[in-house]
Amino acid sequence: MSDLGDLVRAAVSVAGGGEQVEAYAEEQRETEVSAHRGEVEGMKFAESRGIGVRVIRDDRLGYAWAADPSEEEARDAVRRARENALLAEPDAFNGLPAATDIEAMPELFREQSAAIPVDDKVQLALDLERYTVSRDPRVTKVDLAQVGDAVSRVAIASTEGVDLEYARTDAWVVAVTLAVQEGETQTGFSFAITRGLDQLTWEPIADEAVDRAVQMLGAEKPATAKVPIILDPFAASNFLGVLAGALNADNVLKGRSLFADMVGRQVGSDAFTLIDDGRRADGPGACPFDGEGVPSGRTELFTAGVLNGFLHSTYTARRSGGGQRSTGNGKRSGYKATPGVGASNFFVEAGTMPFEGLLAEAEGGVLIMDVSGVHSGANPISGEFSVGATGRRIGPAGALGEPLREMTIASTLPEMLQGVRAVGSDLRFFSSVGTPSISIGEMTLAGV
Amino acid sequence: MLDRDLAAEVLAAARRNGGDFAEVFVEERSSTSIRLDDAHVEELTTGLDRGAGVRVCHGTTYGYAYSNRLDRDSLLEAAAAASAALAGDASGPVVDLTERVGPGTNRAERPAGELDAATKVGWLREVDDVARSVSPEVAQVTGIYFDSLQRRLIATSDGRWIREDRPRIRMVAQVVAKRGDVIQTGWHGPAACAGVEFLDLHTPGETGRRAAERAVTMLDSIPAPAGEMAVVVANGCGGVLFHEAVGHPLEADAVDKEASVYRGLVGTQCSSELINGVDDATIANGWGSFDFDDEGTSSQRTVLFTDGVLQGYLQDRMRAARMGAETTGNARRESYAYPPIVRMTNTNILPGAADPAQIIRDTASGIYVRGLGGGQVNPATGDFVFGVSEGYLIEGGTVTTPVRGANLIGRAIDVMSAVDAVGTDFETWEGVCGKDGQGAPVGSGSPTLRISRITVGGTGV
Repeated sequence: MSDLGDLVRAAVSVAGGGEQVEAYAEEQRETEVSAHRGEVEGMKFAESRGIGVRVIRDDRLGYAWAADPSEEEARDAVRRARENALLAEPDAFNGLPAATDIEAMPELFREQSAAIPVDDKVQLALDLERYTVSRDPRVTKVDLAQVGDAVSRVAIASTEGVDLEYARTDAWVVAVTLAVQEGETQTGFSFAITRGLDQLTWEPIADEAVDRAVQMLGAEKPATAKVPIILDPFAASNFLGVLAGALNADNVLKGRSLFADMVGRQVGSDAFTLIDDGRRADGPGACPFDGEGVPSGRTELFTAGVLNGFLHSTYTARRSGGGQRSTGNGKRSGYKATPGVGASNFFVEAGTMPFEGLLAEAEGGVLIMDVSGVHSGANPISGEFSVGATGRRIGPAGALGEPLREMTIASTLPEMLQGVRAVGSDLRFFSSVGTPSISIGEMTLAGV
Repeated sequence: MLDRDLAAEVLAAARRNGGDFAEVFVEERSSTSIRLDDAHVEELTTGLDRGAGVRVCHGTTYGYAYSNRLDRDSLLEAAAAASAALAGDASGPVVDLTERVGPGTNRAERPAGELDAATKVGWLREVDDVARSVSPEVAQVTGIYFDSLQRRLIATSDGRWIREDRPRIRMVAQVVAKRGDVIQTGWHGPAACAGVEFLDLHTPGETGRRAAERAVTMLDSIPAPAGEMAVVVANGCGGVLFHEAVGHPLEADAVDKEASVYRGLVGTQCSSELINGVDDATIANGWGSFDFDDEGTSSQRTVLFTDGVLQGYLQDRMRAARMGAETTGNARRESYAYPPIVRMTNTNILPGAADPAQIIRDTASGIYVRGLGGGQVNPATGDFVFGVSEGYLIEGGTVTTPVRGANLIGRAIDVMSAVDAVGTDFETWEGVCGKDGQGAPVGSGSPTLRISRITVGGTGV
């Protein structure tokens, strides 16, 4: 089996005159173990490897990929990509980035995490489930108690002199509980992601999953009203994906973003600052370079509510003109896809007020603890959204009151961003998006 | 892809620690995807994927391992890794592998793989041209063409040897319409397990036109009202609702984990008596159809509701064995990289007796839903939500102004019990369902339905 670097260099070596060729290869080894009723429920071992090749010839782009290729098949992918390029239309903005100096991020790979034996992971999953169902008499079952980890390597080479590799380790724990009382069932979710299972403190995750389910017992459907809203980090994180789509320069260039003409304007309130930082090593989305070998960077998208700009790949930067450079956000969903624009560590900058402080200032409002249907109910193009929600009423001095379910919150992204009154100090990452609790002015809450 | 002797050897290795059964799933998939965006062919990608997964099951415990490589050593390594999930001390038998031949549910008359890419690019141009011709307010068109041929081989320790090819084809149009500061979107994406003959019935131009008309219509929309009201769901859309709100909680894994609102309700009236619902993987060329499911069970038509009475759950082998039921052939996986899980195929509400036009005339006020953008359910609580991508007010029995930003939210049993009219006009809708990190093509279908009361989440109070 070829070394990843050799594989991508073998592909690039067959580049013809007058064409740009880039090969991206990745390999991943992943283990996931879940426990249920005191036994192993599932053990999954995944080993994957593949290559994706971009060929740009006469401004035309072609792509081809192959799973676990030999060096011969990697070279054949170049031939197929070249064929595909013939059918694409010329686009003068197609082009591969030049090689740049990259500052390595060795902290993304933890040798000791990569070496954890499977038996230890099995034990961890069993311990997680046993602990989770022992915390509260109403929570005797889990829907999911799972631990997993992955070791990944990436290599990129191109005719423009890019020749890069890096490795990373990731580990995660997920708990979904079922709380039952008088025939009613509620669920609670919690999740954490770190560089390695050896770094993971899982008890708070289990406790939180238990707490979030128990809190919802007895939930009722509220009356329709306009009320002050606080989004906790779980709920708020759901909106960040929608924002990332609207701040993607590719969508902006193609008339698919409501923010297209708003650069330089005060779009949100001055409490709202939004950052993408691929070099923030404690974030799950950290990486030294993006899917086309451009160094990751820090991009402040909103500063105190003012929209500064968008996330760019090499293509969108060239097409935007005006000296725009790639922000290192040419991301790939894997070797099967060409780089698009994507976020790395995409987060709302934390404020200074603790969560309890936000609650204390929102008496009569509702704390939203979860939202559902965001992929269908929020439109990153028009900015409108209406999503399902669960949460609790906020009483005097911020005391949390009755739980609420079967309701929706609806607004538009600009109205929501303008309405941000304060952000909490409790920044937390969920995969590559992170956010603290956010206090927002009034939103429409629909129920009865 | 793999000869029978090697498959038997891998199965034997997988049964090293015993268990109830083992299976090997081998796949080769070639695919073409072409994206036309901003009036340009932006991307033409061809892919070649292959791999094999080995699963070992005992009770509801399983071990799963896969490899991209199909050589003997890699497969035996995967078998050893999967078997490590079991703690048995005696190996299990492997029955001689005997070929089972399916009925050919998904035959492609004109396989997409035999056409050159230039022809496919031509179809996308048609999507673009027709969509732009609908209105000068059409600002952007994205067309995505996709075809794939998945060649599957399944070998099981109880002697099944199954080969099945699944051809897929899909054409999607996404259109952005703009008027001043107002931006709206429209989407249409018919799909099937078929060859290019599918595009004779669902022409690229028609796909572009429907997406464009939706986007342009929504430019005239007003913010949706909020609160409880009557909702008429157009034919096709009701199937999506049924899939999400009812279908997911009827999947046996949720039931077994006591994470389903329908647990313990088989044989009871837990839906309006107008509801007759099935999950049917045998529909010829259906987007969710197949001859055999992904653990080698013949596909079937499973009745879920008869006159509103729950008949049973959707099962795979592991859950059925535990619950003392028969598998319904609902084990599916995204690819060799995933173990099969219980999930739907084509999930339909069957036609009723009401005239769809009359259903609307009989509705004094409410919302008419003609497009759903998908939804989400919590199977344990039955709480679900759907985004309405194309909706209208109903005033005095007439469909009037389009509304935007609407959402339907409710609890599965309450809402299905509140259905008070079912039309005659059955229509299907194709989507990709996500569950446990796996995507699966699913079909759904329904006639026009009315829900007497459901919460609409809009902004108008």
